[in-house]
Amino acid sequence: MAFKIAIDTGGTFSDVVVTDDAGGFSLSKAPTTPARIFDGISQALTSAAEERELTLGELLADAGMVIYATTRSTNAILTGATARTALITTAGFRDTLVFREGGKLRPFDFRQPYPEPYIARSLTYEVAERVSSEGEVVVPLAADDVRRVLAELREGEIEAVAVSLLWSIENPSHEQLVGELLEAELPGVPYTLSHRLNPIVREYRRTSSAAIDASLKPLMQRHLSDMGTDLRAAGFGGELLVVTSFGGVLRVGDVASRPLYSVNSGPAMAPVAGKVAAAPSRDVVVCDTGGTSFDVSVVRDGEVKFTRETWLGEPFTGHITGLSSVDVKNVGAGGGSVAWIDPGGMLRVGPRSAGAEPGPVCYGRGGTEPTVTDAAVALGYIDPAYFWAGKLALDADAAAAAIRAVVAEPLGLSVAAAAWAILAVANEHMVTAVRDITINQGIDPRDSVLVAGGGAGGLTMSKIAEELGCRSVLVPRTAAALSATGGLFGDIVSEFTVSRRVQTGDFDYDAVNAGLATLERQMDEFFDRMHIAPEARVKDYVVEARYPYQVWELDVPLEKGRFDGPEDVEAMVQAFHATHEAVFAVKEAGQRVECLYWKGRASVHLPKPAVPRISPNGATTPKPRGTRATWWGGDDPEQAAIFAAESLAAHQRVAGPAVVELPTTTVVVYPGWELEVTERGDFLLSRPSA
Amino acid sequence: MDTTQTQTRTSDPILLAVIANRLDSICREMTNTLLRSARSAVINMARDFSCSIVTADNKLLATAEGLPVHVIGSEFLAEAMTELHDDISEGDAFLHNDPYLGNTHSADHAILVPVFHEGVHVFTAIAKAHQADAGNALPTTYVPGAKDVYDEGAITFPCVRVQQGYEPNADIIRMCNSRIRVPEQWYGDFLAALGAARIAERRLKELCAQYGRDTVDDLVEQWFDYSERRMTQAIRALPSGTLEGFSTHDPYPGLPDGIPLKVKVNIDAEEGRIELDLRENPDNYDGGLNESRACATANAMIGMFNSIDPDMPHNSGSFRRVTVLLREGCIAGIPRFPHSCSMATTNVADRLVSTTQAAFAELGDGWGLAEGAMGMGPYMGVVSGKDHRFGDQAYVNQLFIGSGGGPGGPVADGWPTYFIPVCASLVYKDSVEVDEQRYPIHVYEQALIPDSEGAGRHRGGLGCRSVYGPKRNPMAAAWSVEAHHHPPKGVRGGLPGGATDAWMIDAEGREQPVDLVGTVELQEGERIVSISAGGGGYGDPLDRAPERVLHDVREGWVSPERARDVYGVVLRPDGRGFALDAEATAAARERARAAAR
Repeated sequence: MAFKIAIDTGGTFSDVVVTDDAGGFSLSKAPTTPARIFDGISQALTSAAEERELTLGELLADAGMVIYATTRSTNAILTGATARTALITTAGFRDTLVFREGGKLRPFDFRQPYPEPYIARSLTYEVAERVSSEGEVVVPLAADDVRRVLAELREGEIEAVAVSLLWSIENPSHEQLVGELLEAELPGVPYTLSHRLNPIVREYRRTSSAAIDASLKPLMQRHLSDMGTDLRAAGFGGELLVVTSFGGVLRVGDVASRPLYSVNSGPAMAPVAGKVAAAPSRDVVVCDTGGTSFDVSVVRDGEVKFTRETWLGEPFTGHITGLSSVDVKNVGAGGGSVAWIDPGGMLRVGPRSAGAEPGPVCYGRGGTEPTVTDAAVALGYIDPAYFWAGKLALDADAAAAAIRAVVAEPLGLSVAAAAWAILAVANEHMVTAVRDITINQGIDPRDSVLVAGGGAGGLTMSKIAEELGCRSVLVPRTAAALSATGGLFGDIVSEFTVSRRVQTGDFDYDAVNAGLATLERQMDEFFDRMHIAPEARVKDYVVEARYPYQVWELDVPLEKGRFDGPEDVEAMVQAFHATHEAVFAVKEAGQRVECLYWKGRASVHLPKPAVPRISPNGATTPKPRGTRATWWGGDDPEQAAIFAAESLAAHQRVAGPAVVELPTTTVVVYPGWELEVTERGDFLLSRPSA
Repeated sequence: MDTTQTQTRTSDPILLAVIANRLDSICREMTNTLLRSARSAVINMARDFSCSIVTADNKLLATAEGLPVHVIGSEFLAEAMTELHDDISEGDAFLHNDPYLGNTHSADHAILVPVFHEGVHVFTAIAKAHQADAGNALPTTYVPGAKDVYDEGAITFPCVRVQQGYEPNADIIRMCNSRIRVPEQWYGDFLAALGAARIAERRLKELCAQYGRDTVDDLVEQWFDYSERRMTQAIRALPSGTLEGFSTHDPYPGLPDGIPLKVKVNIDAEEGRIELDLRENPDNYDGGLNESRACATANAMIGMFNSIDPDMPHNSGSFRRVTVLLREGCIAGIPRFPHSCSMATTNVADRLVSTTQAAFAELGDGWGLAEGAMGMGPYMGVVSGKDHRFGDQAYVNQLFIGSGGGPGGPVADGWPTYFIPVCASLVYKDSVEVDEQRYPIHVYEQALIPDSEGAGRHRGGLGCRSVYGPKRNPMAAAWSVEAHHHPPKGVRGGLPGGATDAWMIDAEGREQPVDLVGTVELQEGERIVSISAGGGGYGDPLDRAPERVLHDVREGWVSPERARDVYGVVLRPDGRGFALDAEATAAARERARAAAR
C-alpha cells in the first residue's frame, strides 16, 4: 500500500490527512507542539497508522510523499520572532518601509498608533548608489561603502540581510555587487536580493518582500531541515514537499531558499481543496470559518484567483508580501466573535474575538461575553454533549444566560431571537467579505458553488448563500481540514516574473519574446533541478497589463509563450478589454494596452489521491439519531431531526430543519433547504424552492 | 426629533445592521473600481477621489472610506441635480464640478447617477475625483493667484447631463477633450468614475429588489435615526461650553498678512447639539483661496468628527445634531460670484480642520487633536512638460512624494503619512519608481527629518525632505507652500511641528530661493527641495513615556540632545546604542517642571 500524507500545522492544532492508493482516507488531529513540531505531528500520524493497524514507522516507510503546510513563518512574523535582520538600501531612501504606501482604513480615527516598519530604521543602512528608471547607473556603487556597512552589520550581530536598491529590476549590477560582498564579508549570513526574489516595480513592495524573506531564512531553514531529519529518522524515505502561497507545493529546498513563499500558505490551499470538492463546477467560492477568522478565496473558470496584495495584518498598516499569490480575503469573524450592543442600541458582532482562551461562554473557561458559537448552542444547532466528538462538554445554560443579559434584554427579544440575530449580523460580515473578493473582480457569486470549510463552516453557510443569492453549498466531509486536504491535491507550482514595458500600439516583439524566452529558460532550469521529464512540464504564461496611464494591472492569460505576429497581439488586446469590462464595468475599445510584467507559471501535476466513494445503501430515507429542540428565528422551538454523518449513505436526502453531526464539524440544514449526500461522502445543500 | 419615538421605530435591528453594512460595501466597491481603473496618478496612485450614496431626497447616506472633504457635502451636488432637472430618468448621468452649485472646487469632477427602482428615483450614486487637469489657464488644478473664475479658467459643468438612456452625450465629451490637457487621461478617468457610479447603480437596484423599496426606505430612515442617536450621545459626553479657535494662514499673493481665521464652537451637551460658527472670518478676496460652501461646511465638521468617538456613522443623520453657520461673501463661507475657489479643498480648508480640532482640545485631556502638516509644497506639486522618452508626449499630474506629519492626539502619535488635514493619511503616497517610470523626473531623496516633530506627550508625525528634478526636458512645477510662517500648532502643552519650506538647487549645486507660492520651470540638472511640516504635539513633552522617547532616539526620529532638552529624558550610551537613565530623567523632568512654574 502506498500512502500520501498531508500535514497542516496551525497555531493550536495540527491536522494530518492520510490517503492510500485504494481511496482510503483518514483525518486526525493533535495539539501543535511548538518546541518540536514533529512531536505533535507524530501523535497524529500514529493514530492514523493505528487505524490501519500499522506502526508509525511502517506508515512512513510506505509513504511516497509528505506534503507539509505550516503557519510557522506567518506566526513568526506576527509575533516578531524572526531573525535580527538588516536592510541595505539606496542612500536617501531609508524610510521606504516606514512609509509603506500611505493610506489608512478609518477616516476620523486618530487613535490608532502608527505601525513600526518591518525592519527597524536603526537596522536600515544606506549605500551611496543610484540607477535610473532606464537602468543607467547615475551614482556608481563603491565597494568600500558596502564594506563599511557590512562591518557595522558584523558588529551589530545581524542574522540576516535584505538588499533592496532602487531600480535593481532594470539594472541588477549594484545588488549583485552587494551580494558578492556579503558572501565574502559575512559568510554564512543568509541574505535576499530584491531583484532575484520578486522583480517588480514599486520599491515598497519589492523591499517588503526581500525584508520578510531574509528575516525568515534562519528560522525556516532550520525548521524545515529539522522536519526532514525527524521524518527520515521516523522511517520516511520519500519526497518532502512544502505548501506555498502559490496554492501549490515545492521541494523543501526551494522553500528553504525562499521562505517568503511559505507565508500565508495554509489558506492558499483551501481553494485547491474546494476546487476538487466542487468539481465539475468551475466557479467556486471557498469559505473557511475558524474560531477567529473567516478566509475566502475564489476559483473562477477552474483557476484559483491570485492577487499581488497580500498583507500580513491590516491593509496599509500591516506588511505586504508583494508576491503574486492566492487571493485570500480574511476578516476577523468566526465562532469566537463577540456580540455587543453599541451606544445607539444596535447589535454588533466583532471585531473582537473571545479567541481560544477564554473562548465562548459555553466553553466554561471564564468567558462572559456571548459569541457566535454560544448563539449556535442556544439555537440547538450544536449539541453540548457532542462538541468535537464529545471531547469538550459545553455549558448551554451559561451561553443562554450571557445572550439574555447582553443582547436579549436590551433589545427586548427572547434568547432564541437574540441568538438568531447574532448569527444574522455575523453572517453579514462574511457576506461582505465574499462580495469584496468576488464582485470586485467581476465574479458573480450567484453563479458559483459555495464550499464551506473550517470547524464552523457548516453552521451558517447556507444563510450566507441565501444573502449572496447562491443556489448551493457544499460541505466536504473533510471540511475541518480543508487546507491539509488541499495539500494532497496540490501540484508543484512556481512562478517567475520579468518586467518588459511595451504598448500594443508599438509592440516590441523582440523585447517581449526575449522576456518570454527568459521565463521559459527559468522554468526549464527549475524543472531540470527537479529532474522533471519534458512531457510533464506545464508552462503557462500571463501578462499583467493595463490601459495607458492606469497603474493597476489586470492578469491576462496568454495562449502561448511567444508573439509571432499582429494576430497574437490582437488576441491579447481583446482578452484584456474583456477582462477590464468584467472587472470594472467599462472598457475602452480601440484603446492601446500597456503590458508591464510577464509571468511564467511552471507546474508539474502530481499524482492525486483516489477520491473516496461511498456507496448507496438502498434506502432513500436516512434514519435520524434522534430529535432536538431548535429555533429558526422565532421564539418557539421546533423539533429537528439529528443525524450522525457516518450513518448517511450516498444520494440520501435530509430536509431541513435538521442537523448532521460529524466529529469535527456540524452541518445545519435550515428550513427550506435540503441536504444530499454525494458519492464522495460530502454534503450538498440546496434550496429546492429557489 | 423625539428620541423616544425614534427608538420604538428601530423595529428590526438585524436588518438595519445588514443594510448599513451593505451600503458601505457598495461604496467600497465603487471606490475599488475607480482606484483600479482610473488613468491619472492623482486618482489611481494617490486616490484623491471619493464615492458616496445619497438618498433621492438628497441626504448623505453612505461614504465608506471616502475623503471627508469630498463626501461631506456631496448631498449638495445631488440637490443641484434635482433642482436643475425635472426630467431625471433611468440611464442618466450628470457631470458636475461647479463650486457655486454645491461642488468643492472646479478640479473635482463628480459623476452623479440617479438610481431607479420600478421607475422611481431612489438613490443617487456619486463618484467624485480630482482631475489631473481641469482646463485652467495654467497647467495646475490649484491656482492661488486666480483673481476670479475667469482668470482661473476651469471649464465649468453646472451639473450637466453626460449620459441619457445609458448613451453618452458626445457634445460634452468633445468639449472636455478640446479644453482639458492630456484629454486621453481625462477621458479614462471619466470612464472610471462613470463605471464606479454604474456599479453602485447595479448594486442598489439589487438591494431594492431583494428587500423591497418600502423596507429599504424605512431602514434608511432608521439608519439616519440611529446615527442621530449616536451623535447625540457623543455630544452629551462632552462638556458644554463655547470654544474659540484661531489660526493664521501664511501670507500669500494678494494676502500680505495672511488670513486670520476663527472657528467658534458652541456645545450644548444637554440638548446634544453642536454649532460651528465660521461667520467671523474675512470677506472674499480676489484670489484662489476662497472656500466653496461645500468645503467650508465639510471642513469644520471634519475637525469636529476628528475630535470625538470615531465609531460614528458620518451621514445626514448624525449631521442633524450639528449646525454650521456660514456667511455669504466670506472667505470661509459661501463665496460671492465670481470669486475663485480654486484652492478651496486645501489651504483655508486645512486651516479650518486644524483650528476646529485644536479648539476641541481645549475641552480637556482626551478631546481634540493638535494641528497637522499643511500646504502643498513641491512634494505635492503639479508637474507638467514633455516626456523625451515617449516622443515628447505631454504629461501633467500631481505628485505625492514624501508626506507631511500628522497631529498628535490624546491616544496616539501623529502619522508620518498624513499629507494634509483634508487627506489625513487616506491618500496614498506615490511609489518613487512608478513616478520615475511615468514622468521624466528623477527623485534624489525622500527622507523623514529627525527632530521635526512637534514634541508632546503624543508627538506629531515627522516632516519629510523630498528632492526631485527633471530628467532632461524642462519641467513646469506648481506648488503652494503653507505653514512656513505659521507651522502646525501643538495643543495642551504640546509644541509646534517643524515648518514647511522649499528651495532650489541649481545645476552647479548652489541653493537658490524660490517663491513659496507659484510655478517655476526647472531645467535639466536643477532640483527642487521640499520640506514638509511636522505635526504638532499633544500634551506636555515632559509627560511622554521615557521608553517612547528612547525608542524615538534609537530609531533616529529624535536626537539625544532634543530628548534631553525638550522631553527631559536622559540617555546614556549603551554598547552601540542608548539606554534610559531613569533617575536622571526623573530629576531632569522635575527641574524642568519647576522652571516652568
